[in-house]
Amino acid sequence: MPDTMPEQTLAPGVTITRERELGGDILTVNFGPQHPSTHGVLRLIVDLDGEVIRRVKPVIGYLHTGIEKQMEALRWQQGVVVTDRHDYLSPPINNLAYALAVEQLMGVEAPARAQGLRVIMSELTRIASHLIWLGSTGIELGAMGIFMYCLRDREKILDLNEEISGFRMHTSYIRPGGVTADATPRFLEMLDAFVKEMPGNIQEYENLLTRNPIWIERTQAIGYLSAEDAIRLGATGPMIRGSGVPWDLRKDRPYCGFETYDWEVAVEDAGDCYARYLVRIKEMRESVKILRQALDRLPGGPVNVDDRKILPPPREELDTSMEALIHHFKLFTEGYSPPAGDVYVAVESGRGENGCYIVSDGTHKPRRVKFRAASFVNLQAVEHMALGHMVADMIAIIGTADTVLGDADR
Amino acid sequence: MTALKLTQGVLAHGVIAGAEWVSVPRERIRETLTELKSQGYESYVFMTCVDHLATPTVEKPPERLELVYQLRNMKTHRELRVRVFVPEDDPRAPSAHDIYAPANWDERETWDMFGIRFEGHPDLSRILMPDDWVGHPLRRDFPVGGEPVDFSEDHEVWRTAPPEA
Amino acid sequence: MGVEKLADRLGENVLTTTLGKVVGWGRANSVWPAQFGLACCAIEGLMHTAGPGFDIGRFGSEAMRASPRQSDLMIVTGRVSQKMAPVLRQIYDQMPEPKWVISMGACASTGGVFNNYAILQGVDKIVPVDVYIPGCPPRPEDVLNALMILQEKIKAQGIKPRL
Repeated sequence: MPDTMPEQTLAPGVTITRERELGGDILTVNFGPQHPSTHGVLRLIVDLDGEVIRRVKPVIGYLHTGIEKQMEALRWQQGVVVTDRHDYLSPPINNLAYALAVEQLMGVEAPARAQGLRVIMSELTRIASHLIWLGSTGIELGAMGIFMYCLRDREKILDLNEEISGFRMHTSYIRPGGVTADATPRFLEMLDAFVKEMPGNIQEYENLLTRNPIWIERTQAIGYLSAEDAIRLGATGPMIRGSGVPWDLRKDRPYCGFETYDWEVAVEDAGDCYARYLVRIKEMRESVKILRQALDRLPGGPVNVDDRKILPPPREELDTSMEALIHHFKLFTEGYSPPAGDVYVAVESGRGENGCYIVSDGTHKPRRVKFRAASFVNLQAVEHMALGHMVADMIAIIGTADTVLGDADR
Repeated sequence: MTALKLTQGVLAHGVIAGAEWVSVPRERIRETLTELKSQGYESYVFMTCVDHLATPTVEKPPERLELVYQLRNMKTHRELRVRVFVPEDDPRAPSAHDIYAPANWDERETWDMFGIRFEGHPDLSRILMPDDWVGHPLRRDFPVGGEPVDFSEDHEVWRTAPPEA
Repeated sequence: MGVEKLADRLGENVLTTTLGKVVGWGRANSVWPAQFGLACCAIEGLMHTAGPGFDIGRFGSEAMRASPRQSDLMIVTGRVSQKMAPVLRQIYDQMPEPKWVISMGACASTGGVFNNYAILQGVDKIVPVDVYIPGCPPRPEDVLNALMILQEKIKAQGIKPRL
């Protein structure tokens, strides 16, 4: 078994002996699917030589929801609700990928105010997703306190979600053609307060962890992923940026006007778990920066395209216009039919490239919807990163890969 | 079509909704992907399959199953979609896991969901469904399943395959 | 202190009750949930409910146990896939009696929006459920409410064996 082991480059200053340390056999350990540290229902089959990992095989599918099949059974506008639930830590970003794909296929573009609100929602979601990541990974690595701080602030984001869409988690806020509802004045006030206090809160997390010796011990030089390997293995999001590749879809393939905001791509060169932690902290700061700008220059105007074929007419028109009534009826009984063709749109979620590939055959239901899940691809890199490390380090490696199993299994 | 300089074997190419695509024969998948990788498409985005069973409204595709590879050039930010048609009665395709590493799990998923055998894959087993599952759920003739819902529009067809299947 | 005086004090210091009531009271206020998250509801039902905003510790249930052997309550947080169903049943079987199950959210209770081949249409097909919570996902308040309903149920059950 050891002769065929793939070579792995480790961080500078770290040597892990590659010889079998104990004379005994390789021990195969099953890990999960119910395990408090696997971020959900991930199962890993680990071959151990003493405490050193010789092989990791992730087994997924324990949260396979049949979302892609379900979307084929739903009409185009109904699918939005299902997209919320695959990567359940970033519902508006999933909505956004789907909405942009449908819009691109139909050749419509959401109005400027909707674009601004989409940016606000996707950045709020990114912060919320990183907060859950920070809190739960903190617990897994033995830092209980950070969890409370993170959830305290995530609660505020959920309140914002509730104010703008009426629901805390699965907002279904962004839909083809625009957004569900305009932002209320109270939402803008709450967002303003949130943006003002968030930099101080992020500093609090940093005070707890960045120089914490236990945290550094458990994450630095663990789970090294070189830039070449990150590209080769298709890693995206904080995984690839933690390895020194400044690849961010918001900059490199911009959507919703992200190119017009003044912000930087968070990059760290070290390539280990600690670097991925720093990238996420930095990303939260950048998201706050984007939120500030988006809030300050949120344009006025409608939040939905003025196209009765995609979106229902306003409620008050229904009482006066026969045509509006017909449009309303047609839309909610039959739905709309994008032209035949296929399109792939990718957006940057908290985990990486969250893409949506849709195939239309010209009917009112999709022929095929495929979600390019960042977790699904990033999880394959865990096999590579964990080799040669101690079994306890695997928690840090899975943790900083930030896989959401709903995303990986769909 | 400036980005694309494929030497041979392109069956068709075009642009749809702003995205470039090429179609190649099944035997030339590996050569095409290797060539594209050396031309700068070093990032593999995803691979999946589309089942074209009984498309009522569009022109009938050459074969029922279509493999779609989405590739990206990280320097020029261009994307390219490679289409390969696979016949229904011979659902096989060469594996590309050694050209693009992330194809490994995508091919397992495509085997699981569509029943396409990837020849040369090191571990072609089910990835999402249980190992003892029968059938390939994302094929169009596989019923959606679940329980019938009274008074819903799809009540009748929910459990059964569409009649044309 | 004379015996008469002691007898007077008894009324102030001794409480008479039945064994069932005192056991039920004790059990109801120390329900330990299994730390077993499945899907979206785990974020709301386990994390936010245990977090600073809602604090499940007020109801004596903050001790989430990673091992099913130490837990009394399984909160089925989210959709159960066909692949996960045997695992879930095994975890339930590993929990010691007395044990309770809360089915949290539409997916766990009925399959929710996922009426398809992959999802078990209701977790009550494989484990007995005590309290169902509607919602997709339910709010943390709903989870606390379900916990209080469950506490009433536990108090009423006392030492009687589960039906």
